[in-house]
Amino acid sequence: MLVPEDLKYTESHEWVRLENGLCRVGITEFAQSQLADLTFVDLPEVGSTVEAGDEVAVVESVKAASDVYAPLSGEVVEANDALSDSPEKINEDSFGEGWLFVIKPEDPAALEALLTAEAYRELLPKE
Amino acid sequence: MTPSRFCIFDKPLPYPEAVSLQEELVKARLADEIPDTFLLLQHPPVITLGRRGRRSFLLASEEALAQEGISVFTSSRGGDVTYHGPGQWVLYPILKLSRNEMGAHGYLHALESVSLQTAIHFGIDAFRKEGKAGAWCAEGKFSAVGFKFSRWVTSHGLSLNVRPNLGAFDLIVGCGLVGERVASFKSVLGDQCPDMDRVAEVIREQIEHIFQRSLVDISEKQLLSPQI
Repeated sequence: MLVPEDLKYTESHEWVRLENGLCRVGITEFAQSQLADLTFVDLPEVGSTVEAGDEVAVVESVKAASDVYAPLSGEVVEANDALSDSPEKINEDSFGEGWLFVIKPEDPAALEALLTAEAYRELLPKE
Repeated sequence: MTPSRFCIFDKPLPYPEAVSLQEELVKARLADEIPDTFLLLQHPPVITLGRRGRRSFLLASEEALAQEGISVFTSSRGGDVTYHGPGQWVLYPILKLSRNEMGAHGYLHALESVSLQTAIHFGIDAFRKEGKAGAWCAEGKFSAVGFKFSRWVTSHGLSLNVRPNLGAFDLIVGCGLVGERVASFKSVLGDQCPDMDRVAEVIREQIEHIFQRSLVDISEKQLLSPQI
């Protein structure tokens, strides 16, 4: 299971990539593989303020809807609208084109509290 | 076998109350305050839309539905539009799926198995349809599935038509499946259709078997208390 070293992670299977002070967020390869073929994505509104742990997005497969949580507090500055037409991008490229939204963090230091790739890998089932 | 709780409701539970109850139970389950819990109940007549539920699948106006005593709600579950009402069992499992247990696909399969095996127990030739969620027989679809994960704790679940008013399904395009017929145990078995209590017993047995649980019966009042 792919777990890129340069990202931070949450126990609820989101990933975070720091880009020029902004945090790009998506769900991990493990999360997408557990949900199987995604058919629908509900994204947060750009400009909305979110608290770490808030339910901010929903991804839906077969008949399952699954919440996505904000890894950090801050403002949503971008959402991946291309996913509404092609949610399968999350299955195909969860760490790349399948990103969900970008947060401008209230406190960039909060990123340090998230899981490292090594710690996240420990949470996954042993292959 | 993992011990889990099983609660059958005596009276139909209004849909919005069932939603807030499940939200409370999900929170408690996430915090490990309660063990895995299965709710089995009936709803007063209601049409629910999933998150991506399209109102175009409602074939009557909400005003016309209200006159028939049917309310309409948007639900946080997956899936499209469906009908619930008396004569239909609804199963809401609140389970914390462990990391090695199953993903959405395995869980969907397990829920479908509960419906299929229950129908087969009563002599109905029930089957899955490739690419569609739910359970079917030659006469049509008799069980719908739609659920939600919150940090891998499940809510919502399945509905199983025992002897509901099937006419109510004419008001919707069930689960967005245009031209699909809806069936019930009654429409297949006629006079031989078992009563609701008997079907509940079999559903309970199937849960124990399929989910590998030993179930402890609890009352509605005990739902949010930590003791089994």
